[in-house]
Amino acid sequence: MPAVLGFEGSANKIGVGVVRDGKVLANPRRTYVTPPGTGFLPGDTARHHRAVILDLLQEALTEAGLTSEDIDCIAYTKGPGMGAPLVSVAVVARTVAQLWNKPLLGVNHCIGHIEMGRLITGATNPTVLYVSGGNTQVIAYSEHRYRIFGETIDIAVGNCLDRFARVLKISNDPSPGYNIEQMAKRGKKLVELPYTVKGMDVSFSGILSFIEETVFAMLVEITERAMAHCGSQEALIVGGVGCNVRLQEMMETMCQERGARLYATDERFCIDNGAMIAQAGWEMFQAGHRTPLSESGITQR
Amino acid sequence: MQASGGGAGGAEGRDDQQSSRTPACQSGSGSAEGEDVHRAPEGRGVSGRGRAVMEAAVARPRGERAPDGLGSAGDVAPLAVRPRRGEVVLTLRVPFQSALEADMARRSLLPDAQRHQGLIRKEFAVNGSDLLVRWTAEDLAFIRLSLNPFLDQLSLVIRNIRSLGIPPRQSLS
Repeated sequence: MPAVLGFEGSANKIGVGVVRDGKVLANPRRTYVTPPGTGFLPGDTARHHRAVILDLLQEALTEAGLTSEDIDCIAYTKGPGMGAPLVSVAVVARTVAQLWNKPLLGVNHCIGHIEMGRLITGATNPTVLYVSGGNTQVIAYSEHRYRIFGETIDIAVGNCLDRFARVLKISNDPSPGYNIEQMAKRGKKLVELPYTVKGMDVSFSGILSFIEETVFAMLVEITERAMAHCGSQEALIVGGVGCNVRLQEMMETMCQERGARLYATDERFCIDNGAMIAQAGWEMFQAGHRTPLSESGITQR
Repeated sequence: MQASGGGAGGAEGRDDQQSSRTPACQSGSGSAEGEDVHRAPEGRGVSGRGRAVMEAAVARPRGERAPDGLGSAGDVAPLAVRPRRGEVVLTLRVPFQSALEADMARRSLLPDAQRHQGLIRKEFAVNGSDLLVRWTAEDLAFIRLSLNPFLDQLSLVIRNIRSLGIPPRQSLS
């Protein structure tokens, strides 16, 4: 019954998780939140992670009721992500692996999301819509590999929403996307040209509804196309933007029309977390993978 | 702290606990002979704090003996390449409690050291219980950009080792 410790910190969330045989034993996480109108920079984000990671490690072990003796493998995010934050987490994973004399496993962040999504929902072979601040891809498993069927040709959809929130100085607490979603729910009018002026006042919620409807419809279209290509009867949404209920509704409509089933997870697992790295690490550990220290450097892309 | 051929590295080495290796840097308080030079190193229980020593030098033209920051420490395996004309070299020496700890820190920090190899060269070695790091670049500015993040990561590794502790069986070897 191997137990795997997972470290994640590729963007502004830092998490440490413990997984044993398909059970999440601990998954504490902290988020680096910047003031409205600003985004998070690599150096500041890394500083935030360095300040809390050792406490998070203790918290995870305590919550799981385990000691170093009970851990069989140390997993960490090898990439992709922001350089300085990735390095800050990787050095701790390497040090812990050496101190406890345990094997090390470098995990792909995207695969962490997918493996956790599969574990939590029980989906067997879904077409995956992976949407977050850093990634937007439609992925399917075909012939022993995860393959990208479609993706953004420039920025991730979460990045689009985050930048939009920045322009409007919407709060980043708990995340800009969450606040956009709440405000968009109050929008009553979907207008083609989102120019909403009432006398001396302006209204912005219509613009946000417009943004969501448009970008989410784009994502639904490419997911549907991939499902048609693969003959897939399951869809799984992973990544922070997957928390958005409107996106889930639109995807559900498309799936129902196709007689397919939609899977999604809640904010504990949609948003970056340590347990998803531990879970992907557990799969790799069982398959016999190991990452030698000399090859454990992080990869931003 | 020794400075040769140019500006001295600016940071933590300049504290009161001068080791006997650096008689050139006695404090200027006019104290009694030998009082500051041979003070015992502070708290053996502390690893990597305060006594990090930096040496910065401008490479001399070929033909003269170039400052050999890492080689002068004693029986260190000589590192890669000598600095070329016009290159700047900065050496950092970080004392740990044991060779095991120093090597552990080296192996945690080394894999990501190659990320900016085009602009600067970073080399690691362990001598006794000291971790040695040497930066070589054409411009001190590049070294400065690399040094600060590196010190942050080093500090994290040191805190990590301290908070978890070396297991008994490992520290015996």
